[in-house]
Amino acid sequence: MSTLNDAQRLLWQLIAAPEGVAATLAGDADRGGTLRAALTRTVRGDERLDTVARLDIYANMYFFRVLDVLKEHYAATHALLGDVAFHNLITDYLLCHPPTHFSIREAGRHLPELLVEHEVLATHPCAADLASFERALNDAFDAADAPVLTPAALAGVSADAWPSLRFTLHPSVRLLDCGWPVQVVRAGIEGGEAAADPEPEPTRLCVWRQDLVVFHRPVDWVEFTALLAVQRGERFDAVCAAAGELLPDGEAPQRVAVALAGWLSSGWLAERDALGGRAA
Amino acid sequence: MSSAARAEFAALGYGVGLRPPHYGHVLETRPAVDWFEVISENFLVAGGRPLQVLSRVRADYPLVLHGVSLSIGSADPLAVDYLQNLRGLAERIEPAWISDHLCWTGVGGHTVHDLLPLPYSEEAIAHVVERVGRVQDVLGRRIALENVSSYLTYCDSAMPEWEFLAAVAARADCRILLDINNIFVSAFNHGFDAESYLAGIPVEPVVQFHLAGHSDHGAYLLDTHDHPVRDEVWSLYAAAVQRFGALPTLIEWDDRIPDFDSLHAEARRAALVASEAQHHVDAERRAAAPLAADRGA
Repeated sequence: MSTLNDAQRLLWQLIAAPEGVAATLAGDADRGGTLRAALTRTVRGDERLDTVARLDIYANMYFFRVLDVLKEHYAATHALLGDVAFHNLITDYLLCHPPTHFSIREAGRHLPELLVEHEVLATHPCAADLASFERALNDAFDAADAPVLTPAALAGVSADAWPSLRFTLHPSVRLLDCGWPVQVVRAGIEGGEAAADPEPEPTRLCVWRQDLVVFHRPVDWVEFTALLAVQRGERFDAVCAAAGELLPDGEAPQRVAVALAGWLSSGWLAERDALGGRAA
Repeated sequence: MSSAARAEFAALGYGVGLRPPHYGHVLETRPAVDWFEVISENFLVAGGRPLQVLSRVRADYPLVLHGVSLSIGSADPLAVDYLQNLRGLAERIEPAWISDHLCWTGVGGHTVHDLLPLPYSEEAIAHVVERVGRVQDVLGRRIALENVSSYLTYCDSAMPEWEFLAAVAARADCRILLDINNIFVSAFNHGFDAESYLAGIPVEPVVQFHLAGHSDHGAYLLDTHDHPVRDEVWSLYAAAVQRFGALPTLIEWDDRIPDFDSLHAEARRAALVASEAQHHVDAERRAAAPLAADRGA
């Protein structure tokens, strides 16, 4: 399949070039013009549309299709940055992370990572955290289904067994440690307020899906620490110990018990645990 | 259906593409649509609302899985994980059939999320035919491949697109989903005659039609799926029905999506156009019958 392979690799290179087909060919001309020669051998143009114009149709569709999807998936980030900065960001993004997944829903997966290193952070320092928050919301939307652990399922667990219980977070749960209250930024944008970066403020968030609806709420540092311990797969006594390091002596069991009740009512824990596979 | 080859592709009638803005309306009102087609990739997810919606819709309607990422013509190896996911989805919702496009969507592990044409060459035919065989083995069923709208042609092309499509279907033993709008768009963009395209496709492997709107950019037409079906495409559809029969027909609308009733109205118009085209064929046959009888006598 060398002919087909060569043709497709050439077209991909030109369609995905962030500077556009014509500029890529112009740059290549300075290096001997092998790309244009290959294109002329591969694609036929005519008096109505030459080869570059025809390939440009695909190049534009490629960029704007991905841009449109990312505007939707990162709507608040787009609003914060504005059209021009977001457009330039996605141009940079596609250079570093051209799509590889069959679903276009995955095309923007690495945008938060790029933002951490991107120059736009100088003017919008919360942008990376905001994008991480929006990615978590998208991920929670179609994360795997799983039965949730209920209080009734724990009713029969003996006191002796509690220390060795290992809880499992529901597959939709995402834990975010942010430097800005990005949930407030997003809510303001959705409410029609002008997008603006807030003052820095350590913010821990839990994002989850319950009954097909995606929710989020801030959690304090103690609860977040306990949740991270659950996420690491630690035993319940270790979860309490992790929280206890942040609390006065003796307060941890009560605080974790209250938190656990909230996790159960919100569906943050999946039914499965390490005691024979199921808690019930 | 007029032949045994079409038997596994049921006579579903006139459907519409199911898109997220209409999920709530469809689930709440159960509109009298014959069938729905969904984009397979939108449901190749782990869980959540999309799969729940799909299962609920499937409980009340026939569904067809229409993919955009099979990339049957790519020089890359077939994506085994994609195919296994697709098979799992098919086992879950039991679609009437599965379709995708005669195209490539990426190479070198990358995708452009677009449907690029292939060179119409013996090399490409052999490549696609071998891959369709493997896809049909994995899925355990025949698939239908759709002609794409295109904006470029290859120097290596040695035959017209319709000959390429017909050869792939014949040698791969797959079926054809004929997109009437794509034929119209490509005919304009490449300067061929759309009715010659229809005449060049054998009747038997064609099992479904697609209809959609396109945008006029002056020097070329763009398959945007953001308008009603254009009058010229309705005319070509009538010609297609006269040649291939009143096959299952699906309205695609993917951008600037109207309210559901407007979309459904397009499907009802397709039924009307198909019915009139069929009457035309029947009337011609009746008119020809006495002459045949005279000749027989």
